[in-house]
Amino acid sequence: MKKTFKKEKLLKWSRINRQVLIGAVLFLAFIFPLFNLLGWMGMVWVRLGVKVAVFVLLALGLNIIIGETGLLNLGYIAFFAIGAYTTAIFASPRLGFHLPFWLLFLLSGFFAVAFGFLLGLPTLRLRGDYLAIVTLAFGEIVRITLNNWESVTNGPGGIPGIYDPVIFGLRIDNNFEYYYLTLGLIILCLILIRNLKNSRFGRAWNALREDEIAAECAGIHVSMAKLLSFMVSSLFAGFAGCIFASLQKFVNPQYFVFMQSVLVVCMVVLGGMGSIPGVIAGAIALDTLPEIIRHTFAFWLPSFLGEDFLTSFPPLLQNFLFDFDRYRMLIFGLAIVLMMIFRPEGLIPSRAWQRELHEIDPRLLEETQMIRFDLEEEEKDLEV
Amino acid sequence: MGFETFVGLTLSGLTVGMIYALVALGYTMVYGVLKLINFAHGEIFTVGGYLGATFLIWIGIEDGIPLPLKILYVILAFLFSMILTATLGWSVERFAYRPLRKMTRIAPLLSAIGVSIFLQNLILLVFGVDPIIMPVAAIPEGYIPVFGANFRYLAVIIIVFSLILMGGLTLFIKKTRLGKAMRATSQDREAAEMMGINTNMTISLTFIIGSALAAIAGILVAMYYGTLKFDTGFLYGIKAFTAAVLGGIGNIPGAVIGALVLGLAENYGVGLKLGILAYFFILGLIVGLAYQFYFLPREARKKALFNLADRFSYDEGSLSKVKILNYCYYGGWISGFYFLFKERRDSLVRIHARQAIRVGFANTFLFLVTLIFFLNSNYKISSEWQNGITFLVLMLVLIFKPAGILGEHIPEKV
Repeated sequence: MKKTFKKEKLLKWSRINRQVLIGAVLFLAFIFPLFNLLGWMGMVWVRLGVKVAVFVLLALGLNIIIGETGLLNLGYIAFFAIGAYTTAIFASPRLGFHLPFWLLFLLSGFFAVAFGFLLGLPTLRLRGDYLAIVTLAFGEIVRITLNNWESVTNGPGGIPGIYDPVIFGLRIDNNFEYYYLTLGLIILCLILIRNLKNSRFGRAWNALREDEIAAECAGIHVSMAKLLSFMVSSLFAGFAGCIFASLQKFVNPQYFVFMQSVLVVCMVVLGGMGSIPGVIAGAIALDTLPEIIRHTFAFWLPSFLGEDFLTSFPPLLQNFLFDFDRYRMLIFGLAIVLMMIFRPEGLIPSRAWQRELHEIDPRLLEETQMIRFDLEEEEKDLEV
Repeated sequence: MGFETFVGLTLSGLTVGMIYALVALGYTMVYGVLKLINFAHGEIFTVGGYLGATFLIWIGIEDGIPLPLKILYVILAFLFSMILTATLGWSVERFAYRPLRKMTRIAPLLSAIGVSIFLQNLILLVFGVDPIIMPVAAIPEGYIPVFGANFRYLAVIIIVFSLILMGGLTLFIKKTRLGKAMRATSQDREAAEMMGINTNMTISLTFIIGSALAAIAGILVAMYYGTLKFDTGFLYGIKAFTAAVLGGIGNIPGAVIGALVLGLAENYGVGLKLGILAYFFILGLIVGLAYQFYFLPREARKKALFNLADRFSYDEGSLSKVKILNYCYYGGWISGFYFLFKERRDSLVRIHARQAIRVGFANTFLFLVTLIFFLNSNYKISSEWQNGITFLVLMLVLIFKPAGILGEHIPEKV
C-alpha cells in the first residue's frame, strides 16, 4: 500500500517536472533572441538560431521515418531541396512569379509530399537497406537535375533574389522575425507529431518498426502506413525548405549534397531515434557545436585566462579547436559508430527504443530455461 | 559518328565495367555473408588508390629507370596497398560491425554509414582537398589500334588482370576449403558454426579479400584517370553497388555481368546519339521477350503472344494462368488490371496481376522513352548526366526487379 503511494507520488512529480522542463525550454527558446537586444550576444547567434530552428524542423521530420517507422531515408535533403526550389522558382525574378507566402508555403509542402508519394509508392515494399539506397539515389538524381536543368533552376549558379515573405501585411525581413516564424512552425509541427504519435497511425508505425510481419498479421495496412509516414516526413522537409529559401534569399544545388542528408541522420541518431526531446537536442547540438567550441576557445576563455592561453596548446589541438568545422563530420561519423555499439538508443532515448534495444529475447530466455530444466532432470536420473 | 567511336565507347565501357566489377565483388561477398550493405567499401577503395599512389610517389618512380624495375615498383605498390587496405577492411569489420551483429537491422547499417563518413573525412584531412596525382612513369603508355579506335595498353592490362582475379576468386570459392566455409556461412551461419566452421574468421576473410580487390581497383582507377579525389570512392561505391544489385546481390557472376552492363550503359548513354540508343532499347525489348518466351510451355506461347491469358480455364490451375499473364510482355498492363478487378478472392492471382501491371508499366515507360529518343534522334545526353544514368538504373532495378538479372543467391532459412 505504501509502496504504490510512493510510486504514484513519484510519477506525479515526474509529470510535473516534465511540464516544468518543457515550459522552461519553450520560455528559453522564446526569449533567446532578446539577449541580442540586451547586448549580451552578437547577431551571429540569432542567425545561427534561425538555422538551428530550420534543422530542428528537418530532424523532426526525419525522425518520423527513422525513429517512428524504423526505415532509413538517406535522400531526405532532396525533399528539402524540392521545397526550397519551389519557393525560389515561384517567388523570385528568375521566371517572374511572385506568389503570396502562404500559397508558396503550401505549394512547397505539396510538391515535397507529391515527390515523396511518387518515390514511396514503388519503393516502400523493398527491404530496409535497399530503401536506404533507393532514397540515396533519388537524392542524387534530384541534385543532378537541379544542377543541369538550366532553363528553370539556372544550374550551378542557383537562384538569387528570393522575395521576403509577407504574412498578414507584415514583411518578414530580419532574423528575429524569421526566428519567431520558424519557432511557431516548430510548435505547430510538434503538436501535429504528438497527435499523430498517439493516433492509430502512430501506433501502426511503431508496430511496423518492431515487427513488420506481426504488424501485418494484426491487420495493419503496411504499405499505406509506410507511405503515410514517408509523406508526412516529406511535408516537414518541404516546409523547412520553404523557410530556408526565404531566409537565405538564394538557393543553389551545392547545398543539397548527400553529406547534408547524413548530417540530419546524425542529428536524429545521436539525439535518440524516436524521442522528440532527443532529436531536438541532437539538432541543436550538432549545429551549434562548431560555433560554440570556436567561441569558447577563441574569445571566452582567453578573456578570463589571458591572451596566450591558447598558444600554449600544441598546434594540432589549436587547429582542431579553431577549425572544428573541418573535423565535424569526422567526429560525427566516429560518434555514430560508437553510439551504435555502446548506446544505440541515443543520448536522450525514447522509452520504446530503449526497451527494444536492451531487451533479452524471450524465446532465448525460454530456451535456456528449458536446457537448464533438462540438465536438472538428467542429474536426477543419474542420482537415481 | 563512325564505327570507331562505337568501338572506342565499347572498349572504355568494358574497362570501366571491369573496375566496377572488382569493387562490386566486395559488396556482393559481404552481402552474401552478412546481409549488410558495406557502405564503407567505397572509401576503402579510395584508401587503396591513395596508398598505392603515395607509395609510388615515395619510392620515386621516374621515366629514367629500366622497365623491369618499374614493373617491380608497381607490383610492390599493389602489394603494399593491398596489405594495408585489407588490414583496414578487417579492422572495420572487427570494431564497427562485429559488435552489432545481433542488433536490429538498422544499427549495423547506420554504423556502416558512420564508418564511411569517418574514412572519407580522414582521407580529406590527411591528403587534403586536392586530388592525388599518379606518377606518369607508372602508367603504361601506348595503344593497340582496334577498328580505328585506340585500345590503351593499360585498358588491356586492366581487363586481363581483372579476368584473372575474378577467375581466381571463383576457383577459390568453388574449390578450396575456405571457399566452402564461406559458402556455408552465407547459407546459414548457425548451422555452419555447428559444423565446426570458424564463422568469425570466415567473415573476416571475406572482408580481407573484398578490401584487397577494392585496393587493386583503386590503384587501377588512379592509373586510368591519372588522379584520385577523396570523394571518388563514394561515387564508385554507389556504382559498384548498382552493379551488384543489377546482377543480383550475393551472386558473384552476377556482379561481373551487372558491372559490365553498367559500364557499357554509362558510356553508350552519353556517347551515342539518341536515335542509336533507341535501337538498344528495342533490342532490349526483343531480348526480354525471347527470354520470357523461352520459359513458357509450348502450348501457352500462342496465347501469351496474342494476350489471351484470360482465355485459360480454371482447370489449368490459376497459378499457371497468372504465370502466363506475367509473360504477356506487352499486354501485361491490360490483363493485369483485368485480373485485379475480376478476381478479388484469389489473392495469389492478384499478386501476380500486380506484378503484371508493373511489367506493363515498365514496358510502356520504355516505349515512351524510345519514342522520345526517336523523335530527337540527333541529340546527345549531356555528359553531366553520366552519374545520373547510374542512379536511374539503380532506382529502376530496385523498383522493377530487386532480385537483379541473374537472381539473388541468398538462400533463405527454411
